[in-house]
Amino acid sequence: MSHLDHPTTETFDANARAALTDMQLRGALRNATSLFGKRRLEASQSLDNWEELRSQARAIKDETLLHLDRYLEEFTANAERAGAQVHWARDAAEANGIVCGLARERSAHLVVKSKSMATEEIHLNAALEAEGIVAIETDLGEYIVQLAGETPSHIIAPAIHKTKGQIAALFTDKLGIAPTEDVAMLTSTARRVLRAKFAAADIGVSGVNFGVAETGTILILENEGNIRLTTSLPKTHIAVMGIEKVVPRFADLEVFLKLLPRSGTGQHLTAYQSLITGTKRHADDEGPDELHLILLDNGRSRMLGHAITRQSLACIRCGACLNACPVYQQIGGHAYGSVYPGPIGAVITPQLFGMAKAAQLPYASSLCGACREVCPVKIDIPELLLHLRAEITEGAEQSRQEAGGSRQGEAAIKRRRLERIAFKLWAAVMIRPWLYERSGRLFRVLQRFVVRGGKIGKVEGLLARVAPPLAAWTTARDLRPIERRTFREQWRDKPVD
Amino acid sequence: MSDAAINQSKRGARAVILKSIRDQLAESALRDAASGKEKVEQTGVVLSNEGSSIAVDTVQANGQKNNLERSLVRPFREQLEAVGGHCLVVSGQVEAARALNSIIAELQTTPLPTQRIALSDAPLVERLMRETGVKVDEITTSPSAPDLFGYDIGLTAAQAAIAETGTLVLESDYERHRLVSLLPPVHIAVIDAADICPTLGDALRRVRRRGPMEMSRAITFVTGPSRTADIELTLTIGVHGPRELYVIVNEGPPLTTD
Amino acid sequence: MTTVLNRQSEIGNRQSTMRVGLFVTCIVDQMWSAIGTSTVEVLRRAGCTVEFDERQTCCGQPAFNTGYRSEARRVAERFIELCEDSKAEAIVSPSGSCTAMVHHYIALFPDDEQWRRRARSVAARTFELSWFLVRVLKIDDVGARFSGRVTWHDACHGLRDLNVHSEPRRLIRRVREAEFVEVENADACCGFGGTFSVKYPEISAAILDQKIEAIERSRVDAVVAGDASCLMQIGGRLSRIGSKVQVMHLAELLAAT
Repeated sequence: MSHLDHPTTETFDANARAALTDMQLRGALRNATSLFGKRRLEASQSLDNWEELRSQARAIKDETLLHLDRYLEEFTANAERAGAQVHWARDAAEANGIVCGLARERSAHLVVKSKSMATEEIHLNAALEAEGIVAIETDLGEYIVQLAGETPSHIIAPAIHKTKGQIAALFTDKLGIAPTEDVAMLTSTARRVLRAKFAAADIGVSGVNFGVAETGTILILENEGNIRLTTSLPKTHIAVMGIEKVVPRFADLEVFLKLLPRSGTGQHLTAYQSLITGTKRHADDEGPDELHLILLDNGRSRMLGHAITRQSLACIRCGACLNACPVYQQIGGHAYGSVYPGPIGAVITPQLFGMAKAAQLPYASSLCGACREVCPVKIDIPELLLHLRAEITEGAEQSRQEAGGSRQGEAAIKRRRLERIAFKLWAAVMIRPWLYERSGRLFRVLQRFVVRGGKIGKVEGLLARVAPPLAAWTTARDLRPIERRTFREQWRDKPVD
Repeated sequence: MSDAAINQSKRGARAVILKSIRDQLAESALRDAASGKEKVEQTGVVLSNEGSSIAVDTVQANGQKNNLERSLVRPFREQLEAVGGHCLVVSGQVEAARALNSIIAELQTTPLPTQRIALSDAPLVERLMRETGVKVDEITTSPSAPDLFGYDIGLTAAQAAIAETGTLVLESDYERHRLVSLLPPVHIAVIDAADICPTLGDALRRVRRRGPMEMSRAITFVTGPSRTADIELTLTIGVHGPRELYVIVNEGPPLTTD
Repeated sequence: MTTVLNRQSEIGNRQSTMRVGLFVTCIVDQMWSAIGTSTVEVLRRAGCTVEFDERQTCCGQPAFNTGYRSEARRVAERFIELCEDSKAEAIVSPSGSCTAMVHHYIALFPDDEQWRRRARSVAARTFELSWFLVRVLKIDDVGARFSGRVTWHDACHGLRDLNVHSEPRRLIRRVREAEFVEVENADACCGFGGTFSVKYPEISAAILDQKIEAIERSRVDAVVAGDASCLMQIGGRLSRIGSKVQVMHLAELLAAT
């Protein structure tokens, strides 16, 4: 982000405007999202039962969520039986406390991390750093983003917003290598640097794509090999897993292995899958001595309370909705000011982190439905967005307390109050046809102030303040005026059929 | 915090989370009942241990069995090559050794070093290596983790493979594979055609065949060499894992002595 | 969202006069009457008698989409009552988004089974224009003539909520002298999204410009769509940049001779 250092959800509109002026970012987004979209489509067409798989996957998730307590208990029991230690974390602070506690007890100085949205969500790296523990991201894209002191801008391709040139400059600056834009060279530099970290690390931290209740197994997918290194070299492996990641049976993995790589990157399968069940059988086997699984709630259980919000938890973090979204395609991930951007981000960010702060996100959508079309687990994101919009307007007073009196928060409350009045007026007019017609005639008269040459051009100045939506529309678009004779007036004049 | 206090807090979090889940689900059930929604049916994906859709395990006439194996070799090879892996199909131990020799010879014409070869502890691997009679600086079985960083080639078997995806399936109970197949820049694997399953689902059933509690603690699926497209979407092969993957598929009498 | 589209073809295959109630929509009524008059013309040519209940106003979409459900509900109840009052066999609208809204009415009555039933039954007889012509009346030639290169924009609600995709294309292909050009990303959103267009005008314009780029590259004379809101969005930008490309509603194209 060139203009804003730490975009937050509260400044979404400003973030978006800034992103739109960044032509290089927009070019990168255009290339990436259209390429991913094309590949996803081709990959989905490589199977003739794609729709069936989507339905199956959704059914598995629905079943799991309706009995989440039972499956989590089963998962825990089986994982523990195989030697894992399972911890439960109500929120981010608790999860970080557990990781830091484990690190302290083991006198750990260096942690290697593989890509995990959950660990980003709880800001684990910052918590570790506060304890003087160095945490190094090992996924190439995450490593780049970490070196740059930024946050990821896409769920699957974290450094998508950076050009080769920017990455080259970054590596020269931070790693002292000779300037080069050769991608192979940059990659092998990262490989070399990170190999030393893998060898020296005390603890490896990973996420979890799926946790199998029936066997206590965790499944993690990747292409680079850093997850395998993170989870097999250091003596201690800590895996952070959102509670919604559990699936009932080992056999259920097949459906998700077919859907996730295709939806995320267009691959039929990623290069590596690690299926880890507990700890090694014998002391002299390969692998960590300890496995700690942290089951993270952090607002997820609350989403179970309504069928519409519950589907948010079906998400398998593939990123397909980001690539399909016309809004994300234009502004990228940082503008959302959240770990989770794009369509899925717009619905889970308010639910996980608070409606008041993230109230703009559900409105940052044209409701086109492209996301719903590509979602491998058929989450109806537009339905969710509409549900959240209704919650936001209805919860105005509650939001006031949550917003905590911030400037943006207060402004938003005032806007919403005016908006509510406007829609109440609108409804009162719309249920009275005579009033509807009178209003139309009134606007037809008033619009003379702004109609020039048969259309309404840019509305600025005082007029813009009186009618902000009019000003907003006409910044970039002309507007058709209300007609001299409306349809119903013409209908009245014609003889009835 | 004392151990007792820590434990108390642990139990506390678990109880709180489970209660939250139960309460929310109960609330949702009430709401759904009121709005007349259909209840979500409980689905059960039937797990059969009886084998795959194509009856590989059924003992039929040898010829038919062989035809099936061969028919899985071709898709396996196609899929593997599509992701940049190399596949050599051989018949019997002698040809397998010759194939291994040719791989190493080919590698020696590239800038990639080939003088230090790490072997997994699968018996067939050591046998095969001896049969090649290749001369390199060092051949070691199961080097230690820190040492493995310095090896050029890792040689393993695999316990199964998947035809529809070109995938190798490695199980820790049968072979010490995790690092030897990962750290050296070249990974060579030797498999028997008889161990190729048709589908992902078959492979999942297979690794679970002795029961849910008896699975290997670390199972790794390997499909092609390591890769990334994180820099401007440019595909780069060989990031943290191997940059070359060779699979020797033996159609002759099985090399694995199980 | 459950739609009741599978019930549409029950009305079936008739040659005789069908009684149709026109749901003209507030935008068309006030700002684009030609779409309304063209729709009437096309339906008459297709053999229908067209009724227009002057008590109609709006489907309630703006309030529903912005999160004001109780306000939307008041308007929806009014609409449902008017439809129940009408003796027309089908209610036809030249708007995919408004038709989709009617099909969404069930969501406004989560705890009232009676209203849900009424909403469902109104939705079952409410159709978008092109769907009605092709799927219900089973005709695709309404005697239209238009000399020029045209392309079709798939409006999001019509496409994804109502599955309208092949119907307008069939109708356009039967327009005499018209050359139909398929533009890449015809199904990409135009960026309107209701209040989104004025809440986030810069994002809306950025999405729109990508659409406009493709349209200009195709060198068509007109962009045709089934939704006045999309046409306002696309047409508004084309006008601002001084483009020669026109926007036309499907009804206007089909009514042309």
